[in-house]
Amino acid sequence: MKLTAQSVKKDFPRASKSSNYFTAVQTLDFALESGKMVEITGRSGSGKSTLLNMLAGMLTPTSGKVFLDDTDLYALDEKSLARLRNEKIGLIPQGHTALLSLTVLENVLLPAILYNRQNPPVDRAKALLMDVGLEALMTAKPNELSGGELRRMAIARAMLMRPSILLADEPTAGLDNENTLAVLGLLRKAADEGAGVLLVTHENEAAQFADEVYVMDSGKLSTQ
Amino acid sequence: MLTLKNLPWRNLKGYAGRTAALLLFAALMAVAVFGGTMMIGGVRNGLDTVKSRLGADIMVTPESAKNEFDAQTVLLKTEPGYFYMDASVVDEIRSIEGVEAASPQLFLASAKAGCCSARLQMIAFDPATDFTIQPWIEDTRLSGNLGLLDVIIGSNVSWASAASDNLIRFYDTECNVVGQFAPTGSTLDSAVYMNFDTCKALIQACREKGMFKYEKLDADAIVSSVMIRVAPGYDSEVVADAIRDKVDGVSVATATNMVSGIADSLNHISGTIAALIVAFWLLGMLMTVLLFTLMMNARKREFASLRAMGASRGILSGIVVREALTVNLLGGAIGVLLTGVILFSFNRLIGESLGAGFVLPPVPMTALLAAAALISVILATVVSAWITVHKVNTMDASLVLKEGE
Ligand SMILES: Nc1ncnc2c1ncn2[C@@H]1O[C@H](COP(=O)(O)OP(=O)(O)O)[C@@H](O)[C@H]1O
Ligand SMILES: [Mg+2]
Repeated sequence: MKLTAQSVKKDFPRASKSSNYFTAVQTLDFALESGKMVEITGRSGSGKSTLLNMLAGMLTPTSGKVFLDDTDLYALDEKSLARLRNEKIGLIPQGHTALLSLTVLENVLLPAILYNRQNPPVDRAKALLMDVGLEALMTAKPNELSGGELRRMAIARAMLMRPSILLADEPTAGLDNENTLAVLGLLRKAADEGAGVLLVTHENEAAQFADEVYVMDSGKLSTQ
Repeated sequence: MLTLKNLPWRNLKGYAGRTAALLLFAALMAVAVFGGTMMIGGVRNGLDTVKSRLGADIMVTPESAKNEFDAQTVLLKTEPGYFYMDASVVDEIRSIEGVEAASPQLFLASAKAGCCSARLQMIAFDPATDFTIQPWIEDTRLSGNLGLLDVIIGSNVSWASAASDNLIRFYDTECNVVGQFAPTGSTLDSAVYMNFDTCKALIQACREKGMFKYEKLDADAIVSSVMIRVAPGYDSEVVADAIRDKVDGVSVATATNMVSGIADSLNHISGTIAALIVAFWLLGMLMTVLLFTLMMNARKREFASLRAMGASRGILSGIVVREALTVNLLGGAIGVLLTGVILFSFNRLIGESLGAGFVLPPVPMTALLAAAALISVILATVVSAWITVHKVNTMDASLVLKEGE
């Protein structure tokens, strides 16, 4: 599977200042292929998350298109796009994404119950939690977990549906070295197993895991 | 096992404190609406019951009994008492135009120490002409024929203190308790009912103990009151005036007169309760909507995460609506149940403290009011869910996920 952005651009309205909008992502092309791990680095505020959200089908571009293979994401109706995201795109957003009422295992199972009435894939969820080193915390509630553990939980959750595209927005922010390497290793493994992985980060260690590295600056994307 | 169906319930359990508060306010609304309307229904029903149990359009009592008998309050609060007039008034009354039926009654009061903690009013009817008490006996599915020394007790006369082995003693005379009437919410509930022969026997027993106030009277030639039914087409007030005109030494009260005390307090109580219903319902509604939208706002990151996982707007709306519905229906049901238990176990106390006739509405009416209470709570569901669904579905999930980082 291939995720392609064609001439995407994102403007945000700005209340004050002289111009009434500003461009967070300049018109650019981008492609993410199966089995590849692509890294985008860049300063905070450079537009990395904005691009990632557009690629994830979460944020409509001001202009341009995003394709998953031949499917134009933003031409789909809301329901079909949501469904497609659920099945094909694993998104690891910035920050905490846990449902506080559920256990760690149930949080990981969530994507599987949204559209499916059959028994959720508990064994796969447990195996993923094992991979991310959370097997001992499966029945814990999210508020008993550290930031690094929550991040690893989000990764396990994003991989549950075996998505062909995995988009991770600063998955290692605030993690110690050991956790950082563990998370990066997991994403690399997902790419090796066939997923197209996009990693947005400012970690220096990340480059050695990635197949390609881009730098984002003021909404412009360039190769390093 | 986690499913989309039980996710709302899991969320409610996870936010136990706020859920408890939501339950409380939903219950408050249900209590206000169900309890309030039941109270209003209860006093209204009480009025109807008293009217039908009174069974007469006009009641005639001796003029000399003015201090003991106040027509306007006799059904609400009265001391047991007895007074008599000459039995000849019955025929005088019957001869008046518009009087369809007239039946005398005899009163007596039990001695304080006789049987029970309090004195009891005794009301005796004339089996040959009675049209008020015997129909009541039949409605209660008791045998219509009370024998000598058979009595029926009002609903407030307790079996336990009054009767052992179904016997009750008045002036050292044992009477058989053969039944008990359903409540009317009036002083009729505190009386003991019997036929003339029984009453005359008790008057004799009372006299022998030297406790009868009117030593000289012949029990066969006296009556305490005359119950009158007006012929169709005649106005009670007009007939009452005719009686006042033509019969000496009596005071005449119409049924409207007699229940006016109850009707007045009914109007007063209904107004107060209606205001309370509205106030508490509004408070509950406001707090429910406020708490629910606050709770959902605090959880918008969770909803944004669900969207990131691929939940459609429809799925998010479903979760919100079912959370609102679950918590409100549960709270509403708790409120209705609680109110029901309280009303049914303390209905006498409620009647006494209201100072009006109070008879719980019949079961179908009760069910209807309970349903109305639940619907009023569901209204809060609709409003809070509508606001929240709108918020959740118009938020920019990608922005929410970036915030608070
Ligand atoms: N929803 C939004 N509305 C307005 N401005 C936004 C919004 N999202 C991001 N921005 C702005 O766009 C720029 C790029 O943001 P972002 O993509 O989050 O950068 P990065 O992820 O590289 O730190 C920033 O200046 C940010 O303030
Ligand atoms: Mg970012």
